[in-house]
Amino acid sequence: MRRRTNPASTDLYDQAHAQWEKEYDQNIHSKVPVQNRSGIPIQPLYGPTRDSAENYLEALGFPGQVPYTRGIYTTMHRGKTWSQRQLIGQGTPDEYNKRVLQLIDAGTTAISLIPCNSVYRGNDCDDVPLPLLGTCGTVINTADHMDSALKGVDIGSISTAMNDPSPFTLLSFVLNTADRRSISWQHISGTSNQSDFLSHFVANHMFFRLSLEGARRILVDHIAFCRQRIPHWNPLSVVGQHMQQAGATPAQAMGFTLSSALQYGRDCLEHGMDPDDFLPRFTFFFDISMSLFEEVAKFRAGRRIWANLTQNELGAKTAHARRFKFHGQTSGADLTRQQPLNNITRVSTQAIAGILGGLQSLHTDAYDEVSNVPNEHPARIAVATQNILREEAGLCDVIDPLGGSWYVEDLTDQMEKKILNVMAVVENEGGMFKAVESGLVQRIIGESALNWQSRVDSGEQKIIGVNCYRTPPAEDQQTVTPTVRPAAEKMRAQVEQLRRFKNERSQADVKRTLAELSRAANSKNDNVFSKVVEATAAGVTHGEVVGCLRQELGFGHPLIVD
Amino acid sequence: MNAPNQIPYRILVTKVGLDGHDRGSRIVAAYLRDAGMEVIYTPPWQSLDAVVRLAGDEDVDLVGISSLSTDHLIIPDLMSRLTAADLTHVRVVVGGIVPDEEYPLLLESGVSAILGPGTDRGTIVEQISGFAAAARHERDTEFI
Amino acid sequence: MDVLESKPRSLIRALKAGDRRAIGRAITLAETDQARITGLCQEIGPHTGHAQIIGITGPPGSGKSTLIDGLISTLRRLSHTVAVVAVDPSSPISGGAILGDRLRMHSHNADDGVFIRSLSTRGHLGGLTPAVHSIIDILEFAGFGRIILETVGTGQSEIEIAEIAQTIVVLCAPGMGDHVQTLKAGVLEIADILVVNKADLAGADLTVQQLKAMLALRPPVHGQVPVLQTTATTVSGLDELVDAIVYHGVKDGGDSTRRRRERTRRLLASRAGALLQERLLRHGDGNLDAICDTLERGERSLEDSARDVLKLKYT
Repeated sequence: MRRRTNPASTDLYDQAHAQWEKEYDQNIHSKVPVQNRSGIPIQPLYGPTRDSAENYLEALGFPGQVPYTRGIYTTMHRGKTWSQRQLIGQGTPDEYNKRVLQLIDAGTTAISLIPCNSVYRGNDCDDVPLPLLGTCGTVINTADHMDSALKGVDIGSISTAMNDPSPFTLLSFVLNTADRRSISWQHISGTSNQSDFLSHFVANHMFFRLSLEGARRILVDHIAFCRQRIPHWNPLSVVGQHMQQAGATPAQAMGFTLSSALQYGRDCLEHGMDPDDFLPRFTFFFDISMSLFEEVAKFRAGRRIWANLTQNELGAKTAHARRFKFHGQTSGADLTRQQPLNNITRVSTQAIAGILGGLQSLHTDAYDEVSNVPNEHPARIAVATQNILREEAGLCDVIDPLGGSWYVEDLTDQMEKKILNVMAVVENEGGMFKAVESGLVQRIIGESALNWQSRVDSGEQKIIGVNCYRTPPAEDQQTVTPTVRPAAEKMRAQVEQLRRFKNERSQADVKRTLAELSRAANSKNDNVFSKVVEATAAGVTHGEVVGCLRQELGFGHPLIVD
Repeated sequence: MNAPNQIPYRILVTKVGLDGHDRGSRIVAAYLRDAGMEVIYTPPWQSLDAVVRLAGDEDVDLVGISSLSTDHLIIPDLMSRLTAADLTHVRVVVGGIVPDEEYPLLLESGVSAILGPGTDRGTIVEQISGFAAAARHERDTEFI
Repeated sequence: MDVLESKPRSLIRALKAGDRRAIGRAITLAETDQARITGLCQEIGPHTGHAQIIGITGPPGSGKSTLIDGLISTLRRLSHTVAVVAVDPSSPISGGAILGDRLRMHSHNADDGVFIRSLSTRGHLGGLTPAVHSIIDILEFAGFGRIILETVGTGQSEIEIAEIAQTIVVLCAPGMGDHVQTLKAGVLEIADILVVNKADLAGADLTVQQLKAMLALRPPVHGQVPVLQTTATTVSGLDELVDAIVYHGVKDGGDSTRRRRERTRRLLASRAGALLQERLLRHGDGNLDAICDTLERGERSLEDSARDVLKLKYT
């Protein structure tokens, strides 16, 4: 147990402590040391720190005050609960539209859009084997498609988050749609999710479309454009999820993510942008694992570190610019195919960790997500999980309820140290861009992944249903509802419709705007994203935009490291 | 597992379709290497024709495909291309996420096994060794 | 290829026709079936020895895989046929290996004029594999005029490459700190062409200067060594590199009979040496024991004892 001096009644305290220690040693069965995922040893008991009172303002602060360790808003969930933002996306724009209108009807004020895997890869639907279309997201290749997908949705008042990697064609389509409906861009709000190309290069290759340098250039253009023209849009979401799911420990995931954010901040500064202007629009996206206390400490440490970093490294002056805003998603990597209903318990635990960690919005996975895109019933349970935690568990009643827990405060400090260590390694390599280019980050993550796997293989890390408490497969629960696939005829019709569209649009406009886009990509002074918006308005498709930029700036090949 | 002095099995570990997640395939590649096999490891998004060509040029015994998402849906097409290229001795094993009711689709097209999430290391190595051995046994009569 | 030919097919005929299955299979045999491949190599031997064998070596981080990919594309554009043999070390513990993961970023898989094969050293200490000679002959016989040998560039592999390849390309990248200074002297000795890749980075010019300075200290045994700059990611400088490679092949190969004879002699020496060693290390040879006795007693010097061994007859 950590020894700290308590100024009051020191002698009595010491005696009681010695007594406890002696009895603990006598009665404890296993002397095997305990470690969490990030490699921090966990003591059985934590006591008060001697100077906690003096350090309170500096290390913790009140909610809504720098360094924001206890929460970025004054009232946190007690004042306004976290937003429930479930990811949705499947099939054709019309099918998406049906689903999203249902959600809005049920009271949602924030929607999300997941495009098809083919869209992530930079393809139009006429360029992909039919069975792969629309199975994991919605096929959106043109401004028309977006218009249909958002028919009847008031984009001037509803917040839209989209998985939209560089060059941000989906946002481009939304802007085109706003123009068609005479809605001012001043009213458009939402987030460019998956704008963090560094995390894709490292750990989600499907989202990685353009060369590193190309993506870097376009991101800065995108942020600059959004700051000027779409004031309520968050152009950047820095993602810790992919790296954690690829095997990074929670401390590493936070460390690498903050390093990426630092890199992006520096790139923006170099572009002449004002940190007090762009930093408030930087958001974060994290995985939430089963390691409950570790996750809470991770987020608290993250807030504290970011508050300091923004001031010291990026020159932020306003309190607003130093706030760490994040969305959390329960980790699919912890779910199991065996005994799938257990995943409901897991998701629930992960959600609690995120809520107690002070997130701003939350997505809960459905229990069948290990096997397929969620079916309706499991998806409803995922939403109900959040409702139950919010309404029945009293989790919103207290801001940072784990604050002051000796364990959690100590763990927060320790996580902070680990995170800063990781960031120092990255800084030593020359910053996050260089560190991923050389493969250092990937190697560190790969090692952690192997380490975790060998602990699972040996049984040291128990996973219920997988390496202990097993059920013979024949008797196990099946993934409950049959997998639903988009109807082949619908997809075929979509492909046909796209082909017709390509023939019938103005070829002159397409040629002209694509040429403009190419020119801008090769000139240092133009804003490439502004040309993307012009091009898609003229009928250029998603695949054509990505193809053009791949040509000019390079195809995004992931780096394979040992 | 290769017996000492036995010629190592050659296994192609690859991904087809659209998904790019490679945490699982990297770990399996390490398992197989540590079991004495030679693993030809590719980046994701290999076209079906590329896989067929690789299987032939590298003279592999078995093709291991890591499939998350829905990429397994194009594997039956791969199986027919392997047959057309005279590579029927090459075994194909799929690892990753396949909905239960789509197992028959794969197995009937000729896939030797589907190893789902949670399959332990020992089973993975054992199954792949077994199939690779069978492949090897079949192929040696092709040329004189 | 005659589609109606029934199995089993003649391997040699299939190879001659450029049948890819045959190439794949023959390479496997070269690694695994000494007896069978010896006969094959004897037959195809007279038809080989003219392909240009290009060794490419360079440290991790020099962008080798992207460069080789660019090289393949450029060579193909100029209508050369290209084979790549990529060798990775096997694990000393398990004997297994992960191969070729640095290649195949770009796809040449639809191109019949390209053949890529990944090999493991299978415990061989030299960095290449003993079968590499036969494999090169097989590839040449099957119609590939330029054969690239590529290794990870650690340990002894540069030396082995130097013994086999005619044109050695050594790669480095700027900003690798003092790497240029620490470039093993041996590597610099064997280079026919030096390439500074990632030439778009700061420090490229400096690296070129450093290399030229180091070369100036070398006696010009094999003529001028060009120091080129490339940026493989944008394909810049690759045309010049291919020119340098082809030119070196022509210049060197103008003396192709001599080169071929040298290669044959080295091959023979290596193989004969291996056979002799095998024979000598076998137990129960009375003659050998006698020589060992006199050596141990100090009655003969090591040098003389070794000559005595050579005088023994071994069939």
